[in-house]
Amino acid sequence: MPALLDSTNSREVPTTPKQLLRGSGRSPKYVRSGARSLAVTYLSVIVLIPFAALLTNAFSGGLGQFWNDVTSLESLDALRLTLLCSLAAAVVNTVMGLATAWVLVRDRFKGQGVLNTLIDLPFALPTVVAGVTFYALYGPLSPLHITITGTWIGITVAIMFVTLPFTVRSVQPVLETLTFTAESAAATLGASPVRVFRTVTLPVLLPSLLTGTGLAFARALGEYGSVVFISNNLPYRTEVASSYIYSLTSSNENGAAAAVAVALLILALGTLVSFSALGRFLSRGAK
Amino acid sequence: MPVFKPKTTARRLVSTTLVTCLMAMGGVSTLAGAATTTNVNVVGYSVVGPAYKALEAAFEATPAGQNVTFTNTFGSSDTETNNVAKGLAADVVNLSYASNMATLVTAGKVPSTWASQESTVAGVKQSTKAALSQTVYPTPGIVTDSVVVFIVRKGNPLNIQDWPDLIKSGAQVVTPNPATSGSAKWNLLAGYAAQLAKGDTTTQAYSYLKSLISHTVAQPSSGSTAMAAFLGGTGNVLLDYEDDAIAAQNAGDAISIVTPPTTLLIENPIALTTTGVNNPAATAFYQYVFSTAGQTVLANLGYRSVLKSVWTATSSKFAAFKKASDIYTVAQLNNQGWTGIDPTFFSSSITYGTKNRTYPTQGVVTYLEQFAGTA
Repeated sequence: MPALLDSTNSREVPTTPKQLLRGSGRSPKYVRSGARSLAVTYLSVIVLIPFAALLTNAFSGGLGQFWNDVTSLESLDALRLTLLCSLAAAVVNTVMGLATAWVLVRDRFKGQGVLNTLIDLPFALPTVVAGVTFYALYGPLSPLHITITGTWIGITVAIMFVTLPFTVRSVQPVLETLTFTAESAAATLGASPVRVFRTVTLPVLLPSLLTGTGLAFARALGEYGSVVFISNNLPYRTEVASSYIYSLTSSNENGAAAAVAVALLILALGTLVSFSALGRFLSRGAK
Repeated sequence: MPVFKPKTTARRLVSTTLVTCLMAMGGVSTLAGAATTTNVNVVGYSVVGPAYKALEAAFEATPAGQNVTFTNTFGSSDTETNNVAKGLAADVVNLSYASNMATLVTAGKVPSTWASQESTVAGVKQSTKAALSQTVYPTPGIVTDSVVVFIVRKGNPLNIQDWPDLIKSGAQVVTPNPATSGSAKWNLLAGYAAQLAKGDTTTQAYSYLKSLISHTVAQPSSGSTAMAAFLGGTGNVLLDYEDDAIAAQNAGDAISIVTPPTTLLIENPIALTTTGVNNPAATAFYQYVFSTAGQTVLANLGYRSVLKSVWTATSSKFAAFKKASDIYTVAQLNNQGWTGIDPTFFSSSITYGTKNRTYPTQGVVTYLEQFAGTA
């Protein structure tokens, strides 16, 4: 029946998930072009134009000036501290985020729903509020007698709070689709739980886990609100990059501020790209 | 038929919204018919915020303040200055130090004659400005005076009395970041000025500043956040405006105020912006701030009044100094005032002169911060 196979004439209802997904491609042309121009306009206004402005600003004094701005002593000190703390926070959150997601998906207990909702709290809470709360809890007047303000540990803890949802939420859905079959098969064949996790579970989770780590790290680099108070903000000592950028804009040194911001962006972008590439490579190896 | 229910609900929602909108529009036009409300945009440095709440409430109770509303923005002085320069709506600006006004004049947001507005707009005559113990001379355009004081833990356990006590071992100083905060600049200059006042050379005074910055444990972005950090337990001495210290004490915070025997006179400028000049409500408010009533509100909040009459009536509430020269002024530090001070101390780039290679001729504080960071 050639008429039925001719997709331009057929009005068959898509049934398989693949067909349903491809369904959008069959929308009338005006819908597709409309959606496309809407997305492009939106992205331009929200992302591309500001980004272009930032780049223009950063390089307004030429490449040499950009380099000087980024490699000034205060900038390097701030960037180094920010990198160290962001990396530490991303690593801890990758492990803890996986553990949390695991508990949320694989375990069943009372209050699980509440816990699941709580994960998103760091997204909802203004970061400044988080900073003030941490200051009260872990500052010099800590009721727990733990003082970590003014140290890289304090900065890292604040960043860990802000970025936790990224790692949990990127692993959780993959973990939900992962069935027990492969794992139990491996276990039946005599693999230890650790080996099952390492050889069966982890390879499947790795791409999403790395995406989460990359997002957390990128988000951590730019964190300001929760960190600025906890760090004590001492230039050359405990000042994070975002705070340095803020002080530059306050002193009307917008070119230098943009330059350091671009340096942060390059670091973040580089991390995101390499992590997603690493994730794809590792998951290919697993298959 | 349940199928049609959402439609009816939606329709009802639309009509209700329409009716509400019409009612609101009617309400607005009725209001407009009765009296026009005028809004005044006030932008100020972080610490002065609470004073404006009081000033605005008092102004709204006067005939001139009827139907006047306020939009307030307060933050670290340099930040707010740049915000206004970049277009933040402002009719009245009350900033930390004169350089902020210079920035706004350059940006075309404040008339270059802002300092004389106090006489041309508010009718304050130079002869009525306070020029007694706290002010060596009456600076035009200044709305409040204050001095740099120390805030210590209640009872002053470390017995901190004078500037040398801040560089003793164990002293942990909190002062805001001079890159963002005007308060921070006043504080550091006060420590420097106190050394000059007792006869030290510039190099000796710089060396004091070096120790002071090395004893600094936190530099929050504004005067207000510095106070928050100190009250949160950081450090044991906070450098601050006297008015902010008094406000904290009145609020019941567990602190003691120590007024050092020599300090720096803080002069906070006010101006009507280019839009404020044409806003009658803003002009009326500006006049009120300079009136006896307005200055009394400020004096009760811990500011040293710039009006002689109000200062005389309230001076007993403030710490007294032995002699007028114990209060150093910015004009004494540099004959160009802030125009000369800003690059010398706070430039972000460090430049050395040909003679003295120990300390730079530009960016002294930046250099000292670097030293403290690498030491």
